[in-house]
Parts: sequence; C-alpha cells; structure tokens
Amino acid sequence: MRRRLILMALALLPIRAGAITTLSAGEVLRGRFVQERHLQGFTAPLHTEGHFVLAPGKGLIWQAETPFAITTVITASGLVQDVGGLETMRLAASRLPFLSHLYAMLSGALSGDWHDLDSDFTVTRSGDAAHWHADLIAKHSDAASMSFTRIRISGSQFVDQVRIDKPNGDSEQLTFSDQALSRSPLTPEEAGNLARLAG
Amino acid sequence: MNRTYAALLWLAIVLTAAAYLAWRVETGLTFRTDLMALLPTDQQDTAMQKASEAVTQTLSRQIVLLTGDSNRATARAAAQNLSDTLGKSGLFTPINTTIDANRIRRIGAFYAPYRSGLLSAPDRDLLLAHKGATIATRALSQVYGFIGLGDAKLLQADPFLLMPSFFANLPLPMSSLTPDDGMLSVTRDGRTWVLTAGELTRDPYALNTQRRLSAVLDPAIQQLRVQHPALETLRLGAVFFARAGADQAMGETSTIGIVSTIGTILLVLAAFRALTPLWLSLLVIGAGIVTALSGSLLLFGDLHVGAMLFGTSLIGVAVDYSLQYCTETFTNEPSPPARLRRVLWGITLGTATTIIGYLTLLLAPFPGLRQVAVFSAIGLAASWLTVILWLPELDRSPPARHGASMLRWSFLFLWLWQSKRLVRWRLAALTATVILAAIGLTRFRTDDDVRRMQALSPDLLAQQSRLQTLIGSQGSGQFFLVSAPDAETALQTEETLAGRLRPLIAGAALTNFRSPARYVPSIRRQRENRALIATELNDSVRRVQFQRLGLPDNPPSTPPKLLTLAEAMRPGTPLSFLSLLVLNYGPGSVSQVVMLDGVHRPAEVAAAAHGLPGVRFIDPAGSFSTVLGEYRRRTMMLLALSAVLMAPMLAWRYGPRRTLWIMLPPILAVALTPGLRALFGAGFTFFDGIALVLILSVGVDYAVFLAETTKDRRSVTMLAVALAATTALMSFGLLALSDVQAVQHFGATMLVGVLLAALLAPMARR
Repeated sequence: MRRRLILMALALLPIRAGAITTLSAGEVLRGRFVQERHLQGFTAPLHTEGHFVLAPGKGLIWQAETPFAITTVITASGLVQDVGGLETMRLAASRLPFLSHLYAMLSGALSGDWHDLDSDFTVTRSGDAAHWHADLIAKHSDAASMSFTRIRISGSQFVDQVRIDKPNGDSEQLTFSDQALSRSPLTPEEAGNLARLAG
Repeated sequence: MNRTYAALLWLAIVLTAAAYLAWRVETGLTFRTDLMALLPTDQQDTAMQKASEAVTQTLSRQIVLLTGDSNRATARAAAQNLSDTLGKSGLFTPINTTIDANRIRRIGAFYAPYRSGLLSAPDRDLLLAHKGATIATRALSQVYGFIGLGDAKLLQADPFLLMPSFFANLPLPMSSLTPDDGMLSVTRDGRTWVLTAGELTRDPYALNTQRRLSAVLDPAIQQLRVQHPALETLRLGAVFFARAGADQAMGETSTIGIVSTIGTILLVLAAFRALTPLWLSLLVIGAGIVTALSGSLLLFGDLHVGAMLFGTSLIGVAVDYSLQYCTETFTNEPSPPARLRRVLWGITLGTATTIIGYLTLLLAPFPGLRQVAVFSAIGLAASWLTVILWLPELDRSPPARHGASMLRWSFLFLWLWQSKRLVRWRLAALTATVILAAIGLTRFRTDDDVRRMQALSPDLLAQQSRLQTLIGSQGSGQFFLVSAPDAETALQTEETLAGRLRPLIAGAALTNFRSPARYVPSIRRQRENRALIATELNDSVRRVQFQRLGLPDNPPSTPPKLLTLAEAMRPGTPLSFLSLLVLNYGPGSVSQVVMLDGVHRPAEVAAAAHGLPGVRFIDPAGSFSTVLGEYRRRTMMLLALSAVLMAPMLAWRYGPRRTLWIMLPPILAVALTPGLRALFGAGFTFFDGIALVLILSVGVDYAVFLAETTKDRRSVTMLAVALAATTALMSFGLLALSDVQAVQHFGATMLVGVLLAALLAPMARR
C-alpha cells in the first residue's frame, strides 16, 4: 500500500527528456487518469476514471469520477478520502509514518534525486527523450511480499503510463492524459480540499 | 587484666566482621537501589499488590533503545549491533518486535474463523446507528479509491471490509513505528530511527545488574559513535533511571562523606591540637561502620543503598562519645581509665537511649527502615564498645593545656543559661522561638508525593520524552485492574469500561488503552456483533455490495465460531502476548489488566471505574505516595513511643523530676523544628519525620551528658556537646544541599533540630 502511494505520486511527476524536472513553487500540474486494475477473482477489471491536481509543496488531489466520485487528498499532514462528502478514510501522517516516508521520497524525486528510489528498486532506463521507459524492480523481500514486484513507467514530456505487477499475479495500469502545467493559482475548491488536512 | 582481655575479645570480633565484609565485597556485594524495595510488605490487599507488582515488574524490566542516523543503513546496522551485543551478554532477551508481513498474516489467519463476531468500535457504533450504508461506501472507496484494497478473496469473505477495520483499531503499542525490511523504524526530520527492545533477565534495581548492563551497552554505543559521529541513541527503561539515581546517591554520599570527614578532622585537630583524639574518633566510627555493615549483610543478605546512606549518618553520632571521652583531656585528669569513668555513665545512657530511639524504627513494617534500625543500632553499639574498651587502652594523651579559651566560650554559653539576671532574656528568647514555630505551624503542610522525592535524571527524562514521541507511545505506570469470577465477566466489564474510556480519549484525558477485550471480545459481545451485522448488513445489502464490487456473491461456507480468551492465549498463537494482560491468581477469580497509555488527567481516568464491580484504578507512584504518608504518620507515633521508652531508663538514674528536665530540651527541639521549617514553606515529609527521631536521640545524648557532668567539669562537657553538635551539623547540614528531595528534607530538619537540641541542652544540667 505504501509503495503504491509512492509510485502513484511518482507517476505524476513531470518528466521531460527522460529526466525528472523540478516543478517550481507556484506551478500546478493538472491532468486526467484512467486506472485499470486486473484482479484475480473479479469478473472484470476495476475501471476508474478521473482527474488529478498536483501542487508541489502543497499536495495531491486525486479525484475519481466513475464509477464513484471518490476524492483523495494527500498532503504532508496525511491522507483523507471521501465519497460524495462522506469521509471514509483519514490517516494522519503522525500516526502512519509511511506517509512521512512517502514525502521524503517524493521530495527527493521532485528535486531529481533518484537516490531514495535506487535504494529500494533496481532502476533500468531506456528509450530516447521523446519516448522513454523506466523499469523498476523491487530489491527488498518485504516490498515484494507486501505490494508489487515490478513497475514500468513510460513517458514523453510527462509520465504517460504506469504498469504495476503484483506478486499474486494482479496488475494495475494507469494511463495519464491531458496533462498541462500551469502557473495559475489553485481554485478555491482545490485549495479548500488541500486545507482539509491542515495542521 | 580483665579490661585487656575484653579489649582483645572485641578486637577479635571487629576483625571477624571486617573479614566477613571483605569476603562479601570479594564475592560481589550487591546493594539494592529501588525505592519500591523500601515499601512495606504488609499492605492489606494482596491480590491487588500482586497484580501491581507483576505489572510494575514487567514494566521495570523493559528496555527500549532507538538508534537514529540520517543514513538508514547505518541506523539499522547500529540497532542490530546493539541488539546482538545485549543478547550475547545474557542480561537481555530481545523482544521480537518485528511486525513483519508474516506476523500480520498470522494474526489475520488467526482471527479469520471468528470474523463474524468481530467489529471495531467505530463500526459497531455505525451499525448501532443504522449507518450500514456508510460502511458499504467506505469499502467501495477502498477498492476503487487511490489506495486500492482489491483482494478478491478478502472481499468475497468480507465485502464490507470489517476485518481490516477491526485490525486497524487494535491497540498496538508503539504505533508510530512501521516495519521496514524486518525492523521497526520511524523516519522523522530526515533521520531514521530503528528500535531495539527487550527485557532484562535480571533485577533492574540490583546495582550489579546496572553495572553489568552499562559495561556492555556504554562501550558498544561509544564504539558506534566513533564510527558514526552523527549517530544518536535514545534509551528508556527503569534500569537507566535506577542507575542514574544510584550514581547520584553514591556521588553525593562520597562528596558529603568527604566534606564532612575533612570538616570533622579539621574541627577535631583545631580543638585538640593533637592527632590522638582524631584517630581515636575515626577508629570509633570505623569500627562502628564495619561492624554495622557486616552485621546487617549477615542478617538481611543484602542492603539498600538508602539504608546504608542513612545508617552511616546515624552511626556518625558515635563521634559524640569519642569526643566526650577526649575532651576529658582538658581537665587535669591524667589517667585514661579515670577519664573513662567520668564519662562512662553519660555515653552509656546516651548510647542506650539512642539505640532505643533507632530500634523503634524496627516496629514499622518498612523493610528499608528495619535495615536502617538494625544497621545503626549495631553500629552504635560497636562504637560504644570501642570507646569503653579501646580508648583507655590506646589513649596516651597528657592533659591538654591550650583549652582555656575554648572553655571560656563554653563557660560563657553556660553562663547565658545560668545567670539569674538573664532569666527574662532566656524566657523571651524561648518564647520568641515558640511563637515563630507556632506561626510556622499555621503554614504547616505535609507532602508525600513520591515523584518529588526522587531526583530523576533530567537527561534521561528528555531522552524518554523524545523516544516516546518517536515511537508514538507515552506509556504510564497506571492501569486498571479488573477482577472477576471468570474471564467472560472480566471481558464484559472491560467492554463497559471501554465505553467510558473512549470519550476520555476524544477529550485528550488519555491517549489510548489496551485491554484483553479489545483483542478478544466477550462471547456476549461477539454474539451481539453477529446479530448486528446480520440485521444491518443483511442479505440484500450484501447482494448490492457484491454487484457494485463486480464480484460473484459467494456467501461464507464455514460455520461461524466464537473466540475465547483461553483459545487466543494458547502458546504459539500470535496473540500469546495477552498473557501480559491476563494475570490469574488462585482459583475462582481472574485478574485482567487494562494498560493505560498517556494518562494526562488521572482523576478523570480513575473516575471511569466508578461503579464498575471489580475494577480498580492503580497508580503505583500514587499508591507509593499514600504509603509514604501513612509511614510519615507512623514515624511520628514511633517518635512518641521512643520518647516514652527512654523515660523509664532516665527515671531510674535521675528520678522523675530530673528526667523531665533532661527530656525537655530534646522534646522542645523535636516540637519546634517542624514549625520553624514550615516557616520557610517546607512541606513535612516522612524524611523530616525520620530526622525528628534522630534529633530526639541526639538531643537526649546532649542532655544526658550535661546531666551527668559535675559542676567543675560542666564547661568541658558543654564543649564536648558543642563539638558533637558541630560535627552533626556538618554531616547532616550538608545533606540539606542534596538534590534528592528526600535527603534534602532530612538534612534541613536535622540542621534546625540539632542546633535547637544543642542550644537547649544546658536546661538539663544539675
């Protein structure tokens, strides 16, 4: 669960020419996502679509639209998730330190430092600036037993696709589209969402 | 000659005592250092006492170390190194704190057959409020949300994800720590902290254990520090506090000991201008201490460091007797046996009354007090024997000629008491003192809070609070003890109690609590939960949920089972740690512990037990304070008793009327001192009480010396009393500078009391 969070956040990083560039403060990345989970025992893959907002130093808003409207907000203070205004999950970073760990990795990655990732994964990069791939294979045994064995990321200007393989054969694919960097400030609604985790 | 034989016999006894002491030191002498060992053993409620002891003992053996470094690998290697080093020492059993995936799976597998009766408290509240839909939506959001919990097998068995919710609500200690490749750690401010936890295999309060632990742990940490200068270690454990406390006590004992020894030496040298009185006094004290130590060790097996501290101070009073003897050189009496004859009655009565005073401490069922009583009684008796048997044999001093000016001062002081013209002034001074003490008494208050009596190392306290913040567990020695005829009743009681504690957690009066019922609900609660799930999340709600999940509806085929505490506690289950919370003493009743974490408002938490049968809030430090209070009162009774016991002996020698005059100075000293201390705002503690016992004894000594002396020798005797009082003030007055509150109280009261006893002593003259 924790590795997935890291990965998902990582997947949202704007990557140009195969190298991660730093989002400067005030910049906001917006885009759409399609998430498809292939799970053993389910008759069909779980299909979720929605949009996201990533504001460096502030947090991430992950909004699923179909089949359910689920809003997840992650900031340095923790994670909160709600469904149609009903809060279904709230994790304070102080209670669950993996969130702080996530932020350590996230900020490292944001500054273009793959070091934290390198200690947990074997990273292989390939392709050219226009179409690049990164292949991450988990190094630790507990990582494998807890969440996944392999992650493949491909992208061009931004991350376009992430595929996660799990040890039990399940897999998950995230496809991003309509990604755009903007310097316009967060909308009041977005700011309000991020503020829910203040303190 | 008979006297010589007696002296030689006494020499043989002292040498035997010294040999025994040397042998004990050679074979590893242990001193106890815990305050708890000073607690009375006769407290009424034995079941509670046993439970309290069991819990405190378990807690006191725990050691938690956090090793932190900015480099994760360094921190991990260091933690592993410490764990290995400690494990190899045999002093420490590492606790397997690794909550790895495997352990989580085992806990999950263990609970799975019983899941139909398990509900987390918030889920139960939701279902009771008919808000099953909220739980259904939460499950969906967990499957489809950012954090996907998409396990088909799990969802088929548990479409509402009630089990993950139950797990998430299990009270796990050290909740801030997460497993990281097999080690529990937490990252804060760029630093990775890795846990090493374990249990001491030996008594943490034995000085020997503390020494051995430091000998293993300190060099290991030092070596790691050399390799990684930025590495930090935080430690938590009663053993570290006990060690620091013992170090401080030892340090102070030696500082106070050295200063008071030097002071006494200078005083004696200055007064006598000869070495003989000095080494005779040292001999008297030395023989007393050696005999007392070996006698007490023989009787008790081991000694408490506090008993030794107080006991040694009490024996210091024996210097009075050697000074009594030695000041006789200021008279013109050249024969040592004749000098002894003159003071024999005084010092013998003084010793006898003092020993009576000390021995009354034996009547208190305080193991520490008994040690003090025996230690000081043996020591005083030995010192007395040394004075009467050895001093005349060893004394070669000619009559001293230089005493004239000291004796003039002594005479002047006595004149203040004797002059008929000064009657009014004397009365005025006494009245003023009495009025001051009376004013003080209006501000008199008692203070029994044990937490203020101990000086806990500030460095360790700081480490403790940092460590507790990092691991997310504040700990506390407080707990509820639940006694019931059977386990089911106890669990039901805990569930009622839990209902009262939850609002307190919400209100920040308490951080968390751990009760057996949170891991294993009562059978009644499991049945209720099952019925609740069946109504609120019935088949039609279930069908809809499966539809929305996109899963085929496969109702569980295994028959639901009920979990019992006995089942959960079988050895080898992942819940066997429950044995720390379930204490069973004797048939027909069970005792369970509800451990409390972070008790911020004890009164509110304690009130939660109100009206619940068999539930008691236990606060070991608090009950220790209660006990201290009780013994403060008992000491005062013993004080009165020892005064009463001394009287017949004095009356036999002096007759009732003079006995009254002899008892008056010490009794006034004892009566006025608490008032004068209170004038400065000091609370009256048990330790002030003990000091009063001592003041009575010393005061009677001084009075008896002056009662025994003849008119022509009165100045000499007064000089001896003044010298004795000065040495007493030097050793006890210095205790008033101690950082240990208990010792400080003792010292300050001694200071005031001894001064009064010496100043008032001339009232006892013939």
